[in-house]
Amino acid sequence: MLENTVYFCLKNRLSELDILSRKLEAFGNSCRLSRKHLLEINLALEEIFTNIISYGYVDNADHWIKIMFSTQNGHIIIRIEDDGIPFNLVKTEKPDFECGLEERPIGGLGVYLIKQLMNDIVYERDGNKNILTMKKKFTVGR
Amino acid sequence: MEVIEEKQNDIYIIKPKGRLDSNTSPEFEKKIFEIIEKGSRNMIIDFESLDYVSSAGLRVILKVAKQLKHSDGRVILCSMEDYVKEVFEIAGFDSIIPIVPNRGDALKNFEASQIPSRDP
Repeated sequence: MLENTVYFCLKNRLSELDILSRKLEAFGNSCRLSRKHLLEINLALEEIFTNIISYGYVDNADHWIKIMFSTQNGHIIIRIEDDGIPFNLVKTEKPDFECGLEERPIGGLGVYLIKQLMNDIVYERDGNKNILTMKKKFTVGR
Repeated sequence: MEVIEEKQNDIYIIKPKGRLDSNTSPEFEKKIFEIIEKGSRNMIIDFESLDYVSSAGLRVILKVAKQLKHSDGRVILCSMEDYVKEVFEIAGFDSIIPIVPNRGDALKNFEASQIPSRDP
């Protein structure tokens, strides 16, 4: 059963990132999430949110991105729903880390970081919606 | 975003404050590249006052490291808190950009590799 559930919507604007961080911080405080886990989840959320607004839409219209935070059996559950073009980040490949500084690619890092920092990521396409659900095991702490 | 800029001998020390995210990174990039255009080749980025970094911030650091290497200089990163260091390590940046515990170590690293003065 989901506990402590929070729902909200953000517009597809970069300026909404501050609201996203503040909402997460308030949620993290309410379930006494450690600072390190709070920052890691913040990073995953920012990467997904900026990906949606940068690549998700082919028009210039306003769109709403629905976000849910919750907890379940010692895990934080994050759900992000958008009506952008289909994008399954679970299926993306790891960037090339073998090469030196000059050849190191600039792109692809965000998605890779999300995969490393979250314990479980599930992607669904439901009608015209992308639904991404991420879980992270959390410890109560500083 | 606030960026403190210092110069010690020919080494520029850049200290970003707060959060290096998708909103603040473009401004940080602009400021740091203005400093590089002034002729800075050797740089220390001191993360002591940085609370948060995302891939947008990592991208700027990678561009700076590439640019300085291109002009025969280099960048050393120092004083990262655990979370910031973790992100740099997961991204594999610790194998291509030196990360040292504090500013003193970064300065020593430059001194040790300093080329003797070319002036007669």
